[in-house]
Amino acid sequence: MGLFDAFKKKVTEIGSPMKGRCVSIKEVSDPTFSDEVLGQGVAVIPEDGRMYAPADGVITTVFPTGHAVGMTTEDGAEVLIHLGLDTVAMKGEGFDIKAAEGQKVQKGDLLIEADLEKIKAAGYDVITPIVICNSADYSSVVGIADRDVNPGDTVIEIKK
Amino acid sequence: MKEFEYTIKDKLGIHARPAGMLVKAASQFQSVITLDTGSKKVDAKKIMALMTSGAVQGTVVKCTAEGPDEEEAIAAIQKFFKENL
Repeated sequence: MGLFDAFKKKVTEIGSPMKGRCVSIKEVSDPTFSDEVLGQGVAVIPEDGRMYAPADGVITTVFPTGHAVGMTTEDGAEVLIHLGLDTVAMKGEGFDIKAAEGQKVQKGDLLIEADLEKIKAAGYDVITPIVICNSADYSSVVGIADRDVNPGDTVIEIKK
Repeated sequence: MKEFEYTIKDKLGIHARPAGMLVKAASQFQSVITLDTGSKKVDAKKIMALMTSGAVQGTVVKCTAEGPDEEEAIAAIQKFFKENL
């Protein structure tokens, strides 16, 4: 038990930013994500357009188009959440930005409110990859996929 | 040290996909490769840094490479910019 706790402490947990189905990053049809070019992680097929902070930390980047958010957790993990594929081309349409660069956030704070139906109607896949951009700094980045998740449920475990 | 300047032509600037591709291209070289957008200087081998560079259409990016393979590195990165951004 003591040993288990010691192990547990070294793990950084990243919560799901959205409600939906958590799947393997390999299921993302864009090789930028599935080949882990941007880092290791998972993906969530969202049922709800609200994106929340996956951990405590600081927002490092909010794309002006609102389709992607980058943050650095208190432990130093760089998390990129990319709402949908190629959604940069929506040019902000259907994305309502609720967070700002440099803002300190707590896990569960609302970051983006997206209109999933509008995005789907425009022909885009809403699957949302969550990747650890500095994966190389860690000994392991493990996704916990193939299940339904609520915002905040652990979807990635990172070990130093 | 080798350098070049490039004005971003892509409407969407350096977003996730080009940032990923650029890191992949830059990581093949030992040289330190830096992008200077005027407001920020970032390491071309770091995804999150690149995405926060603020490079959009019209931004003049100064790219420098410094190291043992700087010649090859700057040629490869310049080619990448011309083809993708």
